[in-house]
Amino acid sequence: MRNANHAGQKARHFPLRIALLSTLTVAAITVISAVPAQASQLATEVADTSGGTETNLLLQNLLNGITFGLLLALASVGLSLIYATTGLSNFAHGEQVTFGAAAAFAAVTAGAPLLLAAVIAVAAGGASGWLQDTVLWSQLRKRRIAPMQQMIVSIGLALAAVNLLQIWMGAQRVRLSTSIEVRYEFGPVSIGPQTMISMAVCIVALGAVGFFLQRTRLGRATRAVSDNPALASATGISVNRVIRIVWIMSGSLAALGGVLLALYENTSDFSAGARILLLMFAAVTLGGLGHPFGALVGSLVVGVVAEVSTVFLPTPDLKYAIVMGMLILTLLVRPQGLLGRKERVG
Amino acid sequence: MTDPQTIISADHLIAGYLPGVDILNGCSMDVKDGELIGVIGPNGAGKSTFLKALFGLVPVREGKVQLRGEDITNLKADKLVQRGIGFVPQTENVFPTLSIEENLEMGAYQAPKTYKSQRAKMYDLFPVLGKRRNQQAGSLSGGERQMVAMARALMMDPSVLLLDEPSAGLSPDRQDETFVRTRDINRTGVTVIMVEQNARRCLQICDRGYVLDQGTSAYTATGQELLADPKVIELYLGTLGADKDDEDDADASAAPEATPEKSE
Ligand SMILES: Nc1ncnc2c1ncn2[C@@H]1O[C@H](COP(=O)(O)OP(=O)(O)O)[C@@H](O)[C@H]1O
Ligand SMILES: [Mg+2]
Repeated sequence: MRNANHAGQKARHFPLRIALLSTLTVAAITVISAVPAQASQLATEVADTSGGTETNLLLQNLLNGITFGLLLALASVGLSLIYATTGLSNFAHGEQVTFGAAAAFAAVTAGAPLLLAAVIAVAAGGASGWLQDTVLWSQLRKRRIAPMQQMIVSIGLALAAVNLLQIWMGAQRVRLSTSIEVRYEFGPVSIGPQTMISMAVCIVALGAVGFFLQRTRLGRATRAVSDNPALASATGISVNRVIRIVWIMSGSLAALGGVLLALYENTSDFSAGARILLLMFAAVTLGGLGHPFGALVGSLVVGVVAEVSTVFLPTPDLKYAIVMGMLILTLLVRPQGLLGRKERVG
Repeated sequence: MTDPQTIISADHLIAGYLPGVDILNGCSMDVKDGELIGVIGPNGAGKSTFLKALFGLVPVREGKVQLRGEDITNLKADKLVQRGIGFVPQTENVFPTLSIEENLEMGAYQAPKTYKSQRAKMYDLFPVLGKRRNQQAGSLSGGERQMVAMARALMMDPSVLLLDEPSAGLSPDRQDETFVRTRDINRTGVTVIMVEQNARRCLQICDRGYVLDQGTSAYTATGQELLADPKVIELYLGTLGADKDDEDDADASAAPEATPEKSE
């Protein structure tokens, strides 16, 4: 998959890519229309009932889209980093997100304040990334199992993990915070305090990832590994150590994303991460597979397009179909995604 | 073999990519400290494979690689970098999304303390890199990339430098520049083993050449001797290799393009 768009083969892979995307689209619509999009409904309801200054639906949805885009970016940046450094499309990444919410919920239930619960969730997420890479993924890499086979393993892992999470969390919905959501009005838009804090946390965390990749030696080595792992090791970079750190980061960022998503939607359950998995893949692909900032840009576009489209759509359930359609159109014009680099010719 | 001047030696290497398929069938080489060695031979002879075997990138099944008398057979690349061996692959030898400066930093990844001073040295050696230090390596021309790749490999101040076809794909002017620069680097005391398609030019500048054919080192002599050797002239110089080095063959080499010209 990784080299699918080598110049010479581009034409040959195009039908395959479209077939894959159409399948994804159908799957996404099925999954998503089965689950009412509470988040946006909630927001719309509040927006509709708030008297006083008039709420501008378009701006409100834009804001919702940016919020959701930031959350999606936080959740999917690890997916993108793992793909970039190892070539693996990790279908178990959704469960990493759920795991964060579950761990935070367990901590809250045990009496921890929300902030501490979030910290515990992030640490547990990082630990799970470390553990997975140690006992599973590094072993597969050592035996030179191809990314495609690894991807199948990740699907199996996702199935197992979602069941374990269901046993752990139960089948019912859970809430991390029972405080009543108030909303502040800023001219034509309104926003809740939890959402504002979530946005701030997202921005800080994503900024930290950017800082890491651009301004630290280890981060630059991470980009080197994603450019060319063979050359990176021939240069003296310990590639496996870099990948281990990417797994730890990916696990903790996904966990943080899961916690914030649970706060944003004001609910969570064992399949919360699985529900956004396809959106994460869409965002990462749209932004540019393997590009360090592809996840951020792709997620923001996905979030904004999805939410803003509800203003014009007969039913909000169609919003993710719009996202997938846009993804296909974008790839037709820019096969490498918005930020992706064209494969070198020759 | 126990010559104290020998810096790196390969003794009857048998190596290959796939189980049961030997690409090198008993390849040997002895290199003295400070020598500039040219390795020539037809396409698919195993020249790249030989360099990769020295550098631990292709598993060696039999035989021995020694660095200053110490066994380094099958050591991992990062260990070899630590011990002072640098390798410039034939293709994909820069990090395309990293800037020139970041590429050099990666070269010194294991010795961050020496990074700044080595970088200054490299910008002296390759002034154009200093001028463009923030440019992405992927946007550079072939010749500039080759400089980045060489500079990156020199960042650890290696005592042995392995170069795989540094002149491939360059214009004649740039090729000349590359050969001159390689000799300059060699004169600073770095032992160089250079694989080349441009056999004539390579033999002109190297101290000693090896002719590799079908996975064995057929013979060795000084560059001048090989240039005058009728067999070498017939096989490698007569047609001047017809510049068949234009294609990047290192990775696509699973294709059955091997050995167009057979010796004898
Ligand atoms: N990665 C690889 N996997 C399998 N076979 C390879 C690989 N690279 C090279 N070969 C084979 O090894 C032989 C020698 O190739 P190579 O060392 O690249 O030759 P040269 O550099 O002399 O042109 C060729 O027959 C080629 O097909
Ligand atoms: Mg070669």
